[in-house]
Amino acid sequence: MKPLLLAFAAFAALGAADVTLAQTSSLRSDTELLISQIQSDKRAVVLAAMDLSDQEVAAFTPIYDEYQREMKDVYQRGTEVMNKFAANYDSMTDDAAKAITKDFFEVRDDRYDLTEKYAKKLGKVLPASDVLRWVQVENKLNALLDYEAASMVPLAPKK
Amino acid sequence: MKLGPLLLALAVTAVPTLSLAQSGAATDEQILLSQLMTDKKAVYAKNLDLTGSEAEKFWPIYDEYEVKVKKLDDRFLSNLNTFAEKYDSLSDPDAAAVLKEKMAIEKERMALKQEYTKKVAKALPPKKALRYAQLETRIENMVRRDVYSLIPLAN
Repeated sequence: MKPLLLAFAAFAALGAADVTLAQTSSLRSDTELLISQIQSDKRAVVLAAMDLSDQEVAAFTPIYDEYQREMKDVYQRGTEVMNKFAANYDSMTDDAAKAITKDFFEVRDDRYDLTEKYAKKLGKVLPASDVLRWVQVENKLNALLDYEAASMVPLAPKK
Repeated sequence: MKLGPLLLALAVTAVPTLSLAQSGAATDEQILLSQLMTDKKAVYAKNLDLTGSEAEKFWPIYDEYEVKVKKLDDRFLSNLNTFAEKYDSLSDPDAAAVLKEKMAIEKERMALKQEYTKKVAKALPPKKALRYAQLETRIENMVRRDVYSLIPLAN
């Protein structure tokens, strides 16, 4: 199932930045260019959007890097869910469909929990407006990447 | 920050993007978004291919879910209005309150989606329940992508 391979790349890139969607598709819009930048260096994109002072950058980056390390594991599990979906696609059993649905929701829950956990950590070293800004940036980037990833995954077979 | 333009921008996202669908250059997702805004229910009906007995069980669950999601959407908009009203002089307590409500809404939305996917899974075969969850996620992704792009970052 070729389309899924692209989706795997998009998911994998969120955590590892080692396989990028930009390598497998042509860039035709600003959105696609931004997605490519996120996948090649999300840290730089986030830091540019945060617009922090030097002192704030010093406080922010160690916590952000820790967040990215933990988030990489979550996205790795997301990739595994999609691999399971692809492996089962042509002969999807009811049990496989149930397991995939459950795993998908668990990954989404864990992503939320991690963002909440690190928003609290950042709240100890940055003003609340910066923490809100960080959550907004993460949400915006995730919205772009989720959209791209989901649009490349076919819907489960009806029967 | 003027509230009017932001609300207007959000309202625009709810208008069917017919021009995209008609241009011939529309992606599957853009066509799906256009269909969704015209009749979300029709999108589900078309994509789930329900039998008579499945439809009888599915639609009441779907309608119940939509009523509950609408309440969360209203809270989201109310929080966004608060953010917009205070944008130019956002204090730390204001920012903390907006963030707390934003995270709470997000958590409740995820819980609601899972609760109703479970209900759908009891009414439909697992493959169709998975397909329903995928459709709901795709729709959510499209709306988020468009709405988040309109909301400015906190100062």
